[in-house]
Amino acid sequence: MGEPVISPGNMQQNTVKASASVSRKPRRGSNWKQYMWGYLFLVPAIAIFIVFLWVPIIKGMVYSFYNIDFVKGNTFVGFDNYVKVFHNPDVLLSVRNTLYYMLLCLVIGFWVPIAASIAISELRWFQGFARIAAYLPFVVPGVVLYGMWRWMYDPVGPINALLGWFGADPVSFISDGRWSMVSIVFMETWQQFGSAMLIYLAGVLSIPRDWYEAAEIDGAGVWARIKYITLPSMRNLIVLMLILQLIGTSQAYQSQLALLDGGPNKATLTYALLTVKYAFTQLDYGAGTALGVLMFIVLSVLGVLQYKLNKEEY
Amino acid sequence: MKERGILSPSDLQKPLNKVVYGLMCLCIAVMTFTMLYPIAMTMFNGLKSNQEVNSFPPRFFPKEWHWDNFPKAWNYIDLPMFLKNTLLIFGGNLLMTILVLGLASFSISRIRVPYSRAIYFFILLTLFIPASSYMIPNFVNLKELGLLNTYWAFWLPAGANAYYFLLMKNFFDGIHPEIFEAARIDGASEWTSYLRIAVPLSVPIFATLAIFIFSTAWNDWFWPSLVMHTEDKYTLATAIYKYVINARNMDSSVKFSILFMVMIPPIFVFLGFQKFIMRSVSLSAVKG
Repeated sequence: MGEPVISPGNMQQNTVKASASVSRKPRRGSNWKQYMWGYLFLVPAIAIFIVFLWVPIIKGMVYSFYNIDFVKGNTFVGFDNYVKVFHNPDVLLSVRNTLYYMLLCLVIGFWVPIAASIAISELRWFQGFARIAAYLPFVVPGVVLYGMWRWMYDPVGPINALLGWFGADPVSFISDGRWSMVSIVFMETWQQFGSAMLIYLAGVLSIPRDWYEAAEIDGAGVWARIKYITLPSMRNLIVLMLILQLIGTSQAYQSQLALLDGGPNKATLTYALLTVKYAFTQLDYGAGTALGVLMFIVLSVLGVLQYKLNKEEY
Repeated sequence: MKERGILSPSDLQKPLNKVVYGLMCLCIAVMTFTMLYPIAMTMFNGLKSNQEVNSFPPRFFPKEWHWDNFPKAWNYIDLPMFLKNTLLIFGGNLLMTILVLGLASFSISRIRVPYSRAIYFFILLTLFIPASSYMIPNFVNLKELGLLNTYWAFWLPAGANAYYFLLMKNFFDGIHPEIFEAARIDGASEWTSYLRIAVPLSVPIFATLAIFIFSTAWNDWFWPSLVMHTEDKYTLATAIYKYVINARNMDSSVKFSILFMVMIPPIFVFLGFQKFIMRSVSLSAVKG
């Protein structure tokens, strides 16, 4: 800091500075009193985060080396759970099914909200209505969705009636192993694209209008404007949503469980569903957690990627 | 034309663009219809006779309006009890979120105790661990704590949500610090300034969180079906899944009227709180 020059004005400044630094770094004694409320406010949250989040996360690693038995107590079994899991041919099958499901979600579901958001942003009339209609399926509860779409996909349901108009043979969408996964992806796209669409729409609408004006004056056509202005401006958002979708779809099991229970002939048995079945049908919690740990290792790579991108954007 | 988008008014003068724009509008119309058709059909199927629901090809409007399906559906399972359970979980979770996470985020954002950075990361780190990888140990943990089949198995873990924590912390960061300084000079304790200043100012974020928590409580069927194992504790969604979706001998028309009744509250919540929800959707883009 250097020698203080003594003059009335400076002295005042110095005292202010000194008192400010005191309040920032108080002496040891006053520490507790000053921050008591702050710590008191944090204690319940820290306790709950430890007991209900960190303990399960760490126990997950530990339990994967144990045979869990609620009656006789847990016994250490080393890598037995992992060996068991790797010898089960269903694991490989479920990984393949999950990758197939993720691919279908990309091919069928990923581009829809992007295209829809650009299209809806261009609507001159009924924009609000289209927005609400697109989002409405998202608030339909899961159980209602399953009942609704079982009927939609029924061999005598509306979709087959529509196909009948075009002279196609009826398809049993759900019970036919070739169609079952596709049907699930269509159903989920129907339900979920509205929320992704709104996120993209916010991105599209935040692009300054005069960029389009300038591009048009320079002779850029409509497609060129979309290709060189709209899509590049949304690039970060699209990549972020892609990673979020990959993280989400790699863990999917609820629709597969509710509609088909992994059938027909294990065609919709995803990895997460297999984990759930290990734990709650066969009651083999050890093997279930071992599968969870393997999943965690793979997904943490994606998680780190998402974190980096998130930081870039915000 | 006041505003331009990607297209300008002069673009629409060209015939090719006109055709493409028309096609695009048609696509959106088809999309809107596809979105609304299954929802409308759930309602109309609930008003048809059982025979008519199962006839092929399906008709849109019922031939006869069977309003008596609704009392039948209401009495098919004990809906009020399941509704009560769902609302209990919703209320407890909301209270827990506001009390535990609200206080914690207030402390991190406003009081800035020593090591608050470390605590912040301790909470935020959980966002990056995929939920399904610790679902089973979580269940085993609840079982070992003896919380299975109690509401505490939902209420207590509701205080461990890093995403809601982050939303509230960001909101508190946006409140002017002068307000709190003024309160402190007037002799308010931290507790008073949370309760009397931060909470009233935070109604928008609490409303957003309330909608999130409501939709989770209303929609989640799988986790409650594991945690609650006696019928009198089932939530609405779990009960519908067990007794309606998986029912073998049940009139389809009654099934649809139950589904319709379950679908109505979230739709009304959505239509009523549209502005909050539309905003909260863009918040969820930041979700990890």
